[in-house]
Amino acid sequence: MIEVKDVVKKFGRKQVLNGVSFTANKGEITCLIGINGVGKTTILNSIMKLTPIQSGEILVDGKKVTKETFEKIAFIPDATIMLPGMRIKEAMDFMNDFYKVWNQQRADELLEFFKLNREDKISSLSKGNTAKINLLLGLALDVDYILMDEPFSGIDIFSREQIAEVFTTHLIEDRGVIITTHEINDIEHLIDKAVLLDHGVIHKEFSTEEIREQEGKSVIDVMREVYRQ
Amino acid sequence: MKIQFNNRDPVYVQVIRHFKNQIAKGFLEPGQVIPSRRELANQLKINPNTAQRAYKEMEEEGLIKTEKNQPSRVTSDEQILQDLRDELILQAVSEFVTSVKSINVPLDDALELVKQKYQRETRKEDSDD
Repeated sequence: MIEVKDVVKKFGRKQVLNGVSFTANKGEITCLIGINGVGKTTILNSIMKLTPIQSGEILVDGKKVTKETFEKIAFIPDATIMLPGMRIKEAMDFMNDFYKVWNQQRADELLEFFKLNREDKISSLSKGNTAKINLLLGLALDVDYILMDEPFSGIDIFSREQIAEVFTTHLIEDRGVIITTHEINDIEHLIDKAVLLDHGVIHKEFSTEEIREQEGKSVIDVMREVYRQ
Repeated sequence: MKIQFNNRDPVYVQVIRHFKNQIAKGFLEPGQVIPSRRELANQLKINPNTAQRAYKEMEEEGLIKTEKNQPSRVTSDEQILQDLRDELILQAVSEFVTSVKSINVPLDDALELVKQKYQRETRKEDSDD
C-alpha cells in the first residue's frame, strides 16, 4: 500500500498541497482526479522524492521511501525521459543498466502490443508513440507500484484506447497503480478508486463500484457535485 | 463479446446481466466453457478485479461452476436455468407494465396490442427465414 499522510508542499509562498492524505492499494487502480494545476503531478513527484515536502509523511508498504524503494515503484511521467537521439532499443539497454528489476521479456511483449519498432529513434516518434515508449519503459520494470502522470493527455483516440487496454491485461494485474488525469472518460469503468483533488486538498476518496452500487452515480456525477459547487 | 457499458450501474452487475441474457437466449449453452477471468477482462476491456467480482457473484448464484483446475462452465442445472428465464421474463414484463400504466392504457387494450404485435413480429421472423 502507498500511504500519503497529511502532505504539505509549498513553492515559495504558494501552498500547492494543503495536507493531502489518501491511500492506494496493491492490485488496484487508483485515479487522482483534478483540473489542471491542483497538484496532481506534485503528489507523484513527492512520492518519488523528486521534490521535497514541507511536512507530512509518505509510506510504501509501511516504510519510508529510500533508494531501495525505487526498485519497487516506477514513475511514468508525461514528458520524454530518454535522450531524443536514442533508438528504442538503446533506451531499453539504458533501463537494463540502471534497474535490477528490468524485464526484457515484458518489454518485448509491450513493443509488440504497442506495435513499436525497436530501431526507431525516439525523437522521430509522434506524441502518442512517445507516450507509449514512456509506458513501455515503466511497465517493463518488475515493480509492485506504478505511478502514471497524465498518460492520456494530448493523445489521439486510438492511442488512448490502446493505452487504456493495458489496464485490462496482465501487464497491470496485481500491481498497484496511481494514475493522474483530468480526462476520466477514457478509464471511468477501469478504475477501482477515485481520489478527487482540489486546491491542494482531497475532497473525496471513493470506490467507483461502491458509488455506482449505493448511489447510482458515475464518477463524473460525483465530480460535478464536488467541483461545481 | 462486446458490452456497451453505462457509467451509473456497477460494471460487475452489467457483466452479470450480459451473461444472464446470453444464457437465457441460448448463446451460452449449459455446460459450455466460459473465458477465464483474465480473458474476460481483456475481451470486455474491464478491470480484472471487476471480472473476478462478476464471476464470484455468478458462482454464488449457481449460474456458473468451477471445478478444481478446470475452466469455469455455465451450469447444467435445469432448475437454475428455468429460474433465470423466469427472472428475465418477469423483469421485461414489469418494465412493460410500468411504462404502460403510466399512460393509463386499460389492461385489455394493452394485452390486445401485445398479442397483435407479437404475432406480427413472429410472422416477420418466419418469412425472413
